[in-house]
Amino acid sequence: MTDTTTSPKSYREPAASAPILISVKGVGKSYTRGGETLNVLQGLDLEIPEGSFQALMGPSGSGKSTLLHLLAGLDRPSTGTIEVAGRRIDTMSEGELARFRAENVGFVFQSFNLIPVLTAIENVELPLLLTKLPSAERKRRAQTALRVVGLEDRMGHLPKQLSGGQEQRVAIARAIVHDPRLIVADEPTGDLDRASADEVLRLLTKLSQELQKTILMVTHDPAAAERATVRLHLDKGRLSLGPDAHPVARAETSTSEAKAEAKSKPASEESPS
Amino acid sequence: MNLATLAAKNLWRNRVRTVLTIAASAIAVLTFITLRTLVFSWTSASEVAAKDRVVTRHKVTFVMPLPKRYVEDVRQAKGVRVATFANWFGGKDPKHDQEFFGTFAVDRDTYFQVYDEMVIAPEDLARWKEDKRGAIVGDALAKKMGWKVGEKVTLDSGIFPNDPDNPWTFTISGIYTTTKKSVDRSSFLFRWDTFNDALPAAGKDQVGWIVSRVDDPSQAANIGVALDKVFDVQDTQTLSQDEAAFNSSFLAGISAVLRAVDVISGVILVIMMLVLGNTVAMGVRERTFEYGTLRAMGFQPGHVAFFIVAEAAFVGAIGGLVGMALSYPVVDQGIGKFLEENMGNFFAYVGVPRHVLVLALVLSIGLAIVASLVPAYSASRIRVTEALRRIA
Ligand SMILES: Nc1ncnc2c1ncn2[C@@H]1O[C@H](COP(=O)(O)OP(=O)(O)OP(=O)(O)O)[C@@H](O)[C@H]1O
Ligand SMILES: [Mg+2]
Repeated sequence: MTDTTTSPKSYREPAASAPILISVKGVGKSYTRGGETLNVLQGLDLEIPEGSFQALMGPSGSGKSTLLHLLAGLDRPSTGTIEVAGRRIDTMSEGELARFRAENVGFVFQSFNLIPVLTAIENVELPLLLTKLPSAERKRRAQTALRVVGLEDRMGHLPKQLSGGQEQRVAIARAIVHDPRLIVADEPTGDLDRASADEVLRLLTKLSQELQKTILMVTHDPAAAERATVRLHLDKGRLSLGPDAHPVARAETSTSEAKAEAKSKPASEESPS
Repeated sequence: MNLATLAAKNLWRNRVRTVLTIAASAIAVLTFITLRTLVFSWTSASEVAAKDRVVTRHKVTFVMPLPKRYVEDVRQAKGVRVATFANWFGGKDPKHDQEFFGTFAVDRDTYFQVYDEMVIAPEDLARWKEDKRGAIVGDALAKKMGWKVGEKVTLDSGIFPNDPDNPWTFTISGIYTTTKKSVDRSSFLFRWDTFNDALPAAGKDQVGWIVSRVDDPSQAANIGVALDKVFDVQDTQTLSQDEAAFNSSFLAGISAVLRAVDVISGVILVIMMLVLGNTVAMGVRERTFEYGTLRAMGFQPGHVAFFIVAEAAFVGAIGGLVGMALSYPVVDQGIGKFLEENMGNFFAYVGVPRHVLVLALVLSIGLAIVASLVPAYSASRIRVTEALRRIA
């Protein structure tokens, strides 16, 4: 099944009343290296409604991946609170975070990160090894996920026997197989040619529209960002909205910007080299 | 697929490296088994000695002979049921001068009474007793040399004069087998009276050692002391020991060597552990981003550690099993057979004891696990975001 075509213009705007999946308040992240503190993110406020497809853009080094990692529960913020699906993830322990990710988050990476010794279906089955599902059921679900991405005929193939675009679709199947509410993708089309990239983007759009997955995608590619319902722009540790941002997010972000402005430190301290 | 198969599949990632690592472990395990088996079979020769035999030899060294008349004195001693004597002949078959086997001149009437674990057909024994030039040979030796009963064999002695006009020619009267694995099956035995007759006058009536059988094994040591006391006041002093002590006096000189061999066998396994640990660490470093990916999916640090330790344990187990499997052809059938046939006096029976096999497998798995602990610990501790950064 390769028909994942969806017109780029047919965005399904989430209703203004869509429940908030992610709520970020006053989040900052700083790294200390050799006595110097690097403030990558500062005073971010953000709300992401369930089912929205958000693109996160910004210059290299602006902290996009850092923010994505915080929202996906891979790392904890230095300041502020993050609530996902009603749970505070900024205070969770490493073990709790891992369980949280296993249940709620699917990851798509720029370089696919498939395990080379496992076949497509085995790669997709991986997240289910953390569940109590019996083996036959795990296999059935992995098959279903591969069908969603149109690769049910490649189940027994190893990653090296697949094209880049196919590999990324297997990775997407792996990201959805355990039915998470949130899918995070860090430059998912960065290593792909235009056609494969479009196919991956169509697939993400479909996941958002048909399966109501909330998708957070970091991208440098304006064409990719076009697919999203909301475009966020990150620069110098601050968020702003792209041209056709969602009203709710816009409202949230503008207040947060005002707040961030109010408590911002001198510019010399916050701009990383 | 489950967590263990995932660990096992990782072995297939770099097949050449995995095969080489397994081969290295297998060779280390095989070497360990070989060395331990040799030490074991050498030392066990003294442990399986008969408890009721006392060996009397020259006080200084067993190379020097005793007067033949001592035999009668020993036979008269209290507690001695029967005594026999023998000389080391140092013979070789010049037609097969690469083959070594023990050659002894033994007493016709008493030798097989004292060494009753050697079994000879009655008609063979009778033939030998009738034939001054008769010889009894072990079945392993007969098989190796292709000797049959009735065949004539000429030996050269490395110790006693070889007279071309009167060579040391014997007719094989019979073949002995043994009831114990620990008894040499490659000895060549001929009659002491024939031997003595052939010697020049100055060398006559001397025996290499005297072996007695005592009524009460618990008294063996005391009887030995009493015998030595009798000969203390005579021209040649003796040392009498129970057979186990006598056998281990052969070993005494090399017991330090044996202990060193034991240590070396352990060192080899430790080297294997270091090689394996290095291989594991190398693989872990290459795979950091995969562990990061798994961690992102929600796998716990413990899962990552498990994958690494399990993979190392698989290598250790496979290497151990291959080494064990090779030990049968190499040790039991190869080195062991060779030693039994050629150095039967020292290695009467060489077979890998079960406890050595178990120890080898346990150590190879155990050391592989130990070797993987450090890489496993550090891989499980790495932060997910750090691990993911290593992708690019
Ligand atoms: N563990 C860390 N220690 C120190 N500095 C870090 C660490 N992780 C990230 N940084 C710094 O934080 C900043 C933001 O990094 P991040 O990876 O989030 O940027 P990005 O927007 O994703 O960039 P790119 O588009 O190149 O992927 C960079 O200056 C980076 O060097
Ligand atoms: Mg990035």
